[in-house]
Formats: sequence, structure tokens, C-alpha cells
Amino acid sequence: MTISDQEIKEMEKRAKQLREDIIDITYWAGGAHIGGALSMVEILVTLYDKHLAIDPGNPDWEDRDRVVLSKGHAGVGYVPLLARKGYFDFDLLKDFNKFKSPFGMHPDSLKVKGVDVSTGSLGHGLSMAVGLALGARYKKKSWYTYCVLGDGECNEGSIWEAAMAASHFKLTNLITFVDRNKYSVDGPTEDVMGIEPFSDKWNAFGFIVKEVDGHSFPALSDAIEAAKNETSGPVVIIADTLKGKGVDFMEDDVKWHYGGLDSDVLVEAKASLNK
Amino acid sequence: MAEGLTWNVYDANTMTQADIYGEVLCALGEKNPDIVGLSADLAKSTKIGKFAERFPERFFNAGVAEQNMFGMAAGLAKAGLIPFVSTMAVFTTMRAAEQVRTDICYQQLNVKIIATHSGISFGQAGTTHHCTEDLGIMRSLANMTIIAPSDGIETANAVRESVDYPGPVYIRIGRGFEPNCNDSDDYGFQIGRAVEMHPGTDITLICCGITVLQAVEAAKHLKENDGLSVRVVNMHTIKPLDREAVLSAIQDTRRIITFEEHNVLGGLGTAVAEVVAASGKACAFEQVGIPDCYCLVGYPEDLYHHYQLNMDGMVQKVREVMGRDFEDDEDWEDEV
Amino acid sequence: MATEKDLLVARIFLRALFPVMKVPLTDDPKMKKRFRGVTARIQFVARDPNGDIGAYLDFTDGELDIIQGVHETPDIAFIFSSVSKMNAMLAGKPVIPKIKGIYRLGLFIKVLALFLSLKVLEPDAKPKDSVKRRLKVKMTVYMITTALSQYNKGGDPEMVDWTSKQPERVYQISVTGEEDIAAYFKVKAGKSKAGRGFYTKRRPFVHMKFNGIDGALPILLNEVNMVEAVRDGLLSLEGSPEYGRDIGNFMVRLQDLMM
Repeated sequence: MTISDQEIKEMEKRAKQLREDIIDITYWAGGAHIGGALSMVEILVTLYDKHLAIDPGNPDWEDRDRVVLSKGHAGVGYVPLLARKGYFDFDLLKDFNKFKSPFGMHPDSLKVKGVDVSTGSLGHGLSMAVGLALGARYKKKSWYTYCVLGDGECNEGSIWEAAMAASHFKLTNLITFVDRNKYSVDGPTEDVMGIEPFSDKWNAFGFIVKEVDGHSFPALSDAIEAAKNETSGPVVIIADTLKGKGVDFMEDDVKWHYGGLDSDVLVEAKASLNK
Repeated sequence: MAEGLTWNVYDANTMTQADIYGEVLCALGEKNPDIVGLSADLAKSTKIGKFAERFPERFFNAGVAEQNMFGMAAGLAKAGLIPFVSTMAVFTTMRAAEQVRTDICYQQLNVKIIATHSGISFGQAGTTHHCTEDLGIMRSLANMTIIAPSDGIETANAVRESVDYPGPVYIRIGRGFEPNCNDSDDYGFQIGRAVEMHPGTDITLICCGITVLQAVEAAKHLKENDGLSVRVVNMHTIKPLDREAVLSAIQDTRRIITFEEHNVLGGLGTAVAEVVAASGKACAFEQVGIPDCYCLVGYPEDLYHHYQLNMDGMVQKVREVMGRDFEDDEDWEDEV
Repeated sequence: MATEKDLLVARIFLRALFPVMKVPLTDDPKMKKRFRGVTARIQFVARDPNGDIGAYLDFTDGELDIIQGVHETPDIAFIFSSVSKMNAMLAGKPVIPKIKGIYRLGLFIKVLALFLSLKVLEPDAKPKDSVKRRLKVKMTVYMITTALSQYNKGGDPEMVDWTSKQPERVYQISVTGEEDIAAYFKVKAGKSKAGRGFYTKRRPFVHMKFNGIDGALPILLNEVNMVEAVRDGLLSLEGSPEYGRDIGNFMVRLQDLMM
């Protein structure tokens, strides 16, 4: 195990905070991609609390690890974490989606400190992550590039082009996650456009596949550590998750891919986190 | 001895004059370690192959996967490098259009694109490999700088200038057999500044790419045979357009014809038309290019002739426009 | 009786090959000296039931003109019993014509020398002497451009098809470093014209530039083909590569026809 019980407790606290923030922002913004933001909370918290080499006071630090949230629509679950880490004032998030706000549905690298790459159009992120990893290697730097994909996103051909390249270039400094919450928008991924056998596909594309419980800090942390030490090729961590995780009436329900909350539901959602 | 030519795509590299830019890129690469190159399995067919040979560790072949290639270029630029990406214009601006726009232009990344076989220069390949829409598409992308060099020498200049020019740059070239219209590279090439190739006061031909040389030849011919004074403007930078050059042409010559190896809709002609219309001044104006259609198959020179993009077509067009009156004073009464 | 092909070949010999005899007369001092002050007419004629085919060398005080047709009173006449026989001899085969006027021995020897100077054009003639090397390149360049035009005027179907489809285009040949070795072949909608020197009225559509005499010779000797020549820097081809290839093809074909 790469993390202590104490660390797990702290990460659980941080995860709860992040879930609260997601619910709040969804309320302030009048609607957000709440389901997919809630499912990836543990992934981001594990990364940011335990594994990333970053400096919030110096967001352009040349040797920082890079993060590409390829499933950019879940930005509502990303920017509050950055705020809590100290990249910018949390209160700015109250204007999420409002006129001229730097915060919209998808994270903007030119406007939000801490966001390395602007994403939102599914299928773009992994290619850019590949480019970053190649750049790091060319410049003989040791920083890692982490890329978080959605599972529905893996319908996009460009993801597989990028995967082919990552394997061809043996990018061991690229660590990819798939937030396998099993739903896209129109329904379960397997009904809309099936991606199974999913692990087999990544294997066939030359990746070392790690399947983990996407809500377990130890499992995620161990997988990341192993990925960092992998020398034969790129690693993909397929995180088995629940869309809407943490809010009982949203869990595993495709409806909450995107939604708004009125003040009553807001209270219910937050209460659910405390159960 | 046998007739016909036995050659392969590797030989073709040695048969063109446009490989100057490949050498320039190598020279720039020597000085600047941040320059890297990418191609989509077309390194041998485009001059970036030279860079690949010289700096194999700085060249990334993305294989036949253009969308990924442009995404990778964006990532490399994010890592602090200056990627030169080369593939055919049609794939750059259409297959990977979203990556060019959303990954590169939106994030204002320092990616320099060299789009080859633009227009109908790959005549034999037919519509799937033609690209008569790229200028129109690229013009609509904010933050994109667009250059259509007139020959290999100008391409080298464009490549040289683009290194330090901020943000994304799109350089569209032909297949590499285009003859040179510039004698040397020191004519003061500057991105955004048109070059007057031939002085004149009767009419202005505003051109880019291969049409520049043809226009210069047409101007010479018209001077000798028709006694016409034809100004030829090499508008190598389509965006940002040199508005001053257009305004001066309106002012000095009152007649403008634009020529481009591109659809008449959306490219150089349209860009110039915007300036002409906004100027509020009377000016005879005509656009010549591909008439909003998909082009025939043929050797490019035959196609240029067909679409009036060569010297003969231009001479004919000028004579036509010169014979035309534009809206003028209706009132011919003497002022007393 | 002469076939269409015989007549076409004869046309090329008489109208493209013969005129290059003027070159050694101007460029080779020895030859110039030989013909100083000479005024004479030397006829080449092939008998044919449809009308004799021939041309004559018209010397006036050492200056040479080639006139097509038959002169009534030539000083020397080379008479062939058929067009095909004349073509064979001009192609270098051992055919002996009837010779009238051979008693004008002095003139005859001079003419023979001039005629033999054409041998330098043969594909395997490898002159060592720098004057002869230069002559070979210049004479070939002049001859081939005129031959191309005559091939078209003579009605070869493939050549005519090729020229008819084209707008006005100029195919220029030159040798870098040798200003007076240049010739062009102009076409327009089926018409053709060969010219000496550089065509100045418009930019050439294709420009074949041999890299000096040393660049030209291996190509003319068929030691390298066009692709190799360009790759090795012996030849540079500006303009349409496809049409450059076409010209190259026709040149090879003409060479085979004539040699």
C-alpha cells in the first residue's frame, strides 16, 4: 500500500469537500455535468493529494506534472479542487457560467490557473497528453502527464489514434485514467455504442491495463505508483466508478449526466453526502 | 532507350525546387532546439523529410492519423516547444479542423502548420486530395495567421519568420514543382506586408501562391503588347490582410482583379472584397479562382490553364476588365 | 516507294539534322578555314516515284544555307535510289549513294569532312577534345529542338495529339555557363516552331537546364536517364515535371529514329 490510513482519512475529507463544492457550483451555475464530476472525485483527489508534483503558487512552474481532463465537461468537478488547492480564490466560482466568468462548462487553460489544457470536445485530450509526454521526454524532463478520459469518450476514433501513438512512442511518462462510470448521455455505454471488451482493447493497443475500484484511495494510489514505475509502455487505469457517486438519488443514474438543482434538492444532495 | 520515367516517391525529393524550406528548417533547427517536426506518414513526400533526416530525435511521425497529430502538436507546444506540422492541406483544414481550431487556435499555441498540395496542385489525385477551401476555413479561425507563399523561396522566408511570430501560423504550399518567381530571399519579406512585384497604374492584380508568377508574366506581356500598366501585388499573407495595399490599389488604379488557387468564395478574393466594400470607393472588382466547384483531374498546369489561373487566362481577364466601365459620373455637364 | 514513316524520317533528317552543319562552320576554326571563300551547291536527293525528296547545301563565300528541294545544277550530288536508302545512310548505315561531281575532288573532300562532323551526334560518339565536346552538345540541342518541331509538322499522330491539346507553351533547353547553347520548341494548339537561343516573349513552360557541357554529355550519351540526371545534378528541370517527361520521351524517340 502506498498510503497510510491517516492519509486515507484526509483524502476522504477532501473528497467530501469536493462533492459539496460540485453540488454548490451546480446550484450557482444553474446546471452542470454533475454525474460525471462526482464519479471522478477519488481519481482527482488521489492525484492532487498524493501524487502530483505541483506548486499552486507557481502554476507555470516548468517542471510541474501536467493534468489533462480530457472529459472536459466534468470541469465542474475539477475547478473547485484547484481553488481549494490554492490556485485561485474559491469565491470566484460563484459566477460559474455567468457573463464574462472565466468558469464555464469546460475548463479554459488561458483563463483558469491550474488548468494545463483547455478541453471540452471529447476525443482531443489524449492526443494533447501524448504531445506533452513526448515533449517532456524530448526535453529530458521527468514530469508526468496524467490524462482523465470518459468511457463514452472512448467512442471517439481520435482516442485510439492517440493510444496507438502512446504505445508506439512507449510513453511511460503518460498515465491515463478512464472514469468508467458506464454511462454516456443517451444511456449505458453498452446500449449506445458498446466499448466492451474494454480492457482487451487497451491491451491490444499496447497499454498495460490496471482495473481498479475507482472510489478506493488505496487502489487508485497503488495503481498510480505502479504506473510511475512501469518501464515497458504506457499505463491505463480503468477506474470502475458510479456516475453521481456520493449523492444517493444520483448514483448510477444516467439522468444526472447533466442537471440543475433547486434549493431543496441542493439540501437533500448535501445531506446525502453525510450519510 | 526506354520511354517514360521510372521513379518513385523517394526520387521525387531530388526533383523539386521547393525543397529550400526543408533546408531552412534544418538551419533553424540547428540554432533553436525547441523546433520539432511532425508529419502524418508524408515526411518523404513533403520537405519536412529533410528535417526528419537531420534531426531524427526531434521528428515525430504520427502515421496516417491527422487528428492525433495536431493534438500532439498542441501538446508539444504546451510543453514549450515549437512544432512544425506538415501534411496535405485537405487533411489539415478538414480532417483535423477541430484540433486546429480548438486545441491550437483557441489555446493560442505556437504551432506552425505547413499545408502541402493545396489548391489543385495535386491535380491527378482528384477532389479527395484537392483543397480549394482551406483559406476560407482558416480565415474564420481567430488567432490564425495565414500565409500563401508564391514560391519555394518565399516558403523558406515564411518558415523563417514564423518561428518567432506569436501563435499559430498556417502556410499553404503546392506540390513542390512550382517555379521560382523571386530571385533571392532578401526582398524584405514580412508577415502581413504585401510585396509589389510589378508597378502599374491601370489595374491591379492581387495574387497569392502560384498565381503571382503568372501575374508578373501577364503584366509584362500586357505592357509590351497592350501598352497597359499593370500592378501586381503579392498578397502572401491572407490573414492579417495588408489592407493598406488594397486601399492603395483602389486609390491608384481603380481596378482590381484577385487571383487564387482557391474557391472564389471565402479566400483571398473575399478578403480583398471586404476591404473594397468597406472603403466606400468606386472600384472595378473581380475575383478569379475555382468557381465554387470540385475540380477536374489533370496535371496542375493544365488545370491552371482551364481555370484561367495562368498567364494567358490573366491577360484575357485583364483585357475584359479594362474594356469595362465602372460606375462613374453620370452627369457630364460642365461645371460653370 | 517511300512509306509515310520514311518521309517523316527524311523530313527530320533534311530539316533538323542538316541545318546543324552550320554549327561546325561557325564554331570550329578548322572547318571555317576549310570553307573560306567557297561558293557551291551540294545536293542530297532520294529518288521516289511520287517526287524526289532532297535538300542542298548552298555555300555562298563560305556562308552556308540549307535549302529544301532539288537544285537544277548542283556542283556535287549524292543520289539515293530510295528515301529509305537515304535515311539509312544518314542514320550511319553503310549505304553508298551514286555521287555526281566527285571529280571536284577538293570540294568533295571538304564536303565529306563537313558531313563527317555530323558523326559527333551519334549516341556513342565520345569526343575527348573540348571543341568537339562543345560541338556535340550544341549541335544536339539545335537538332533536337528542330526535330521536335518537324516531327509535329510532319504529322506524327502522337506528337500532333500532344501539341494540339496545349495552349501556347515554350519548351526551353539551355546549358549553364554556355550562353550560346540554347534552343527552344514552341507549341500552340497543334502548331510548332523551333528557335535558336532563348525565347524572350514569355517565360518557358518547361526549362531543361544542362549543368554545363560535362552535365550534358552523359545524358546525350545515354549513360544516365533523366531521373538519374536530375538526381545527380546533371540536369535541372523547371516547370511541369509531367510535360518535361513528355519532351524527354519524344527526344528519346527521335534519337532512336535518327540513329
